[in-house]
Amino acid sequence: MTVWDSLLYDLFPLIWSGMITGCLYALGALGLVMIFKCSKVVNFSHGNVAGLTAFLVYGLSSGVLMSLSWGAAVLVAMLAAVAIAFLIYSIISPVVFESDLTSTIATLGFGLIAQGVTLLMFGADIVALDLPIPRFAFSVLGLFVTGYDLTVLAVAIVTIGALFIVIDYTKLGIAFRAISENPFAAEVCGLNLRSVHYFAWITAAILGVIGALLIVPTTFLSVTTVATFMLQAFAAAVIGGFASLPGALVGGVLIGILMNLFTFYVSPEYSSTFLLGVILVALNIFPNGILQKVGGSRV
Amino acid sequence: MSDQVSHMPSPPSALSRLSGLATPGVTAVVLVTLLLFLPALLGGSWTFTLGLCFANSIGVLAVSLLVRYGGEVSIGHTFFTALGAYSVGVLDTRYGISLWASVPLALVLGVAFGLLFAWPSRNLHGIYLAVTTLALALAVPEMINNFDGLTGGYEGLYVATPFLPGVDMGAQRYYVALAMLVLVCFAVARLRLSRQGMALLLAKTHPAAADAFGTRRVWARISVMGISGGVGALCGATLAFSGSTVSPGGFTFWQAIFLLVGSVVSFYGLSLPRVLIGGAFVTLVPQLLSASGAWIPVLYGLALLGMILIGHYMPRIRKALNRNRETG
Amino acid sequence: MDQMTNALRGEGIALSFGGIKVLKGLDVDFRAGEITGLIGPNGAGKTSLFNCLTGAYSPQKGTISYAGQPLNGLPPAARAARGIVRSFQHVALCPDLTVRENVMMGLARTGTAGWLSAFLPLPRGRQERSDMARAADAALADLGLPDVGDRHPGELPPGMQRLVEIARAVVGKPSVLMLDEPAAGLNNAETQDLTAALRKLVSPDLVMVVVEHDMDLVMSICDRIYVLNFGEFVAVGSPAEVRSNPDVIRIYLGSDEDE
Repeated sequence: MTVWDSLLYDLFPLIWSGMITGCLYALGALGLVMIFKCSKVVNFSHGNVAGLTAFLVYGLSSGVLMSLSWGAAVLVAMLAAVAIAFLIYSIISPVVFESDLTSTIATLGFGLIAQGVTLLMFGADIVALDLPIPRFAFSVLGLFVTGYDLTVLAVAIVTIGALFIVIDYTKLGIAFRAISENPFAAEVCGLNLRSVHYFAWITAAILGVIGALLIVPTTFLSVTTVATFMLQAFAAAVIGGFASLPGALVGGVLIGILMNLFTFYVSPEYSSTFLLGVILVALNIFPNGILQKVGGSRV
Repeated sequence: MSDQVSHMPSPPSALSRLSGLATPGVTAVVLVTLLLFLPALLGGSWTFTLGLCFANSIGVLAVSLLVRYGGEVSIGHTFFTALGAYSVGVLDTRYGISLWASVPLALVLGVAFGLLFAWPSRNLHGIYLAVTTLALALAVPEMINNFDGLTGGYEGLYVATPFLPGVDMGAQRYYVALAMLVLVCFAVARLRLSRQGMALLLAKTHPAAADAFGTRRVWARISVMGISGGVGALCGATLAFSGSTVSPGGFTFWQAIFLLVGSVVSFYGLSLPRVLIGGAFVTLVPQLLSASGAWIPVLYGLALLGMILIGHYMPRIRKALNRNRETG
Repeated sequence: MDQMTNALRGEGIALSFGGIKVLKGLDVDFRAGEITGLIGPNGAGKTSLFNCLTGAYSPQKGTISYAGQPLNGLPPAARAARGIVRSFQHVALCPDLTVRENVMMGLARTGTAGWLSAFLPLPRGRQERSDMARAADAALADLGLPDVGDRHPGELPPGMQRLVEIARAVVGKPSVLMLDEPAAGLNNAETQDLTAALRKLVSPDLVMVVVEHDMDLVMSICDRIYVLNFGEFVAVGSPAEVRSNPDVIRIYLGSDEDE
């Protein structure tokens, strides 16, 4: 096999599929970054809450809880995610204004609760969640493209596009940007910090549900799958600088591709260790995120 | 909003209110004396569980140390406990060497890896460090399973070599853990009085002031991580000996979070009674709820939130009560 | 002659942030045995100059030296090792430590007891602690605070906290003492106590620099005053000279009355 062949048959498909999963990591990371940007809290419950809602979709559509149609189940799960995000932020908001690290620890508490509730409601077994994703596949230039790939790409582009439009053009989005830049000044100007925080937490929850539902077809659904998936989202957010939405996007795709290449070429057994290495290296080379120039440091 | 974990005020202990004699030192001596005689009153399984409590208390202490002296939160301390536990496990099962050698080895490895981890993350703080320790915690089980030639993989290792030959093993597992806990608490209490300890505290609250008097920020960060890593490894070593088995199940990501929960539940305390509360919480809750496993994370989550909210509202409530008392 | 050599000198210190020139080539000569004041309106560059001298900023141009030895490029901790210490505009005492322990931190760099002494009750560490505690108590007593060693900083009024900070700065017998707005946040009585305390600190080997807003304090304790405006010195001289300098009256003292 020539070098070209190996590139064609291994590398390009790996990059392609890494990019697809990377889009999902980016959806998770965008939620984390939105919350962090305005409220300075790292939401460690993100993965577990998204996992719980993915299970809700399963439970509502499979007859375990109810036998709704697929669309209705997703809608109810989304509403549940929004309600949970609202509840979490309402409970910790007094702490948020006092210490960001303490409120970050508090989100771990919610993560534990979400994990426990998932176990209580659905057990520890692996379940199969079928999504109505078009099943077709074709080959372009040696690249094997599936309906799943295109669905993920389309949903990610639409969701992220919508998010950026909301942030750039709506009143809430503009308030969000102002508060992220300078919370004190924004508050002096009459913007309500709390309502913007709610906006960020709820948006993040929705992004999390979308990401969680789309990652499920590649694995099975179990208590840990979505939480594990969100850890890559954490890495993506870190690489992007944790305070940059475009950075989270780039970080997500980068992590997706890097993880794919690492598991294929080096070892699938050290993926978490590799992730740790990537985070440490990235934080040292790009302390302010991959999209920020080195030197423009903010203390 | 501050970078630092807000320090929760210590609730006035009932003991110290009962008598002016109950200084922290006296409380500790009374408590240790009590614990020395406890196995005579309790059955073997409770003695075993208490040994684990002591071991976990050391782990809780390691996490609290990082909060108190570094202002940082770690959710990856299972890395250090695993390091210590496998030092003991491997030396024991491979070479039949007991704690005499493996505990110092665990301490050295814990400190060394603490420093090793601190160096690349020396400029990180707050949430960045927390996320990095999260990645550290996730890498632990993977490393253990992949080094299965050394670690025994999923099956783990069984620690059976006695520390003092000829003495009943059940009693050893209890008293060694108690001795370790008391020693570590004592050493940590000394640290508070030392030049280095005070410099770390100053560097945590006012890094620029510490800098101006010769304590560099990077030195402070790395030292705290080294100390905390060393104490974490001692926790692991004690767990291995007192728990008799070392397996990846004891060093999962969740276990790392539980240690943090234990630290929060003990209000980040460093004294013997406080860390015992944290250690008991980490050990006893899973045991008491072992029949209904799904409730464990729920209970831990509620405890974590409860303590944080108490820490938040307690000073306010106390202030309000005092005001009422003054006006009323 | 001694006074000339033991001076903190800066030549041609220039600093700019993103193209804005904050300091435009300043020459300073802070002499031992004197209290030198550094005054100027807000944004004049006082704090920037202060930070250049303590090592928090590194100026783009110019040299800084103490007793003829260059200090350029040395971080604050290394300058501290050469006896150049400072106080902070916002009180920077550690609330977890007692007042005595806070003052002891002024001696931290002189400590030699190792890590083993930090964890075990070894004689060396105990000796170090009791030596430092004695020195701290002496420094506190010198500043008129003999009884507060066991209290925590938060229990003291702002004036005392400021004096504790100064005790921390002088306990290590520094050669240069730089005070950043020592009277900020103090009431009149407290400022008078501070003035008295600062006067007592003057010694032939000590360079003292005070950056201050409080004109009464500066005029009453300083031997020489540098007046800074827009990154340049407008006047240098004794309090009487500065007070009568028309430029100073116009751009600095005058603007005070306008407000």
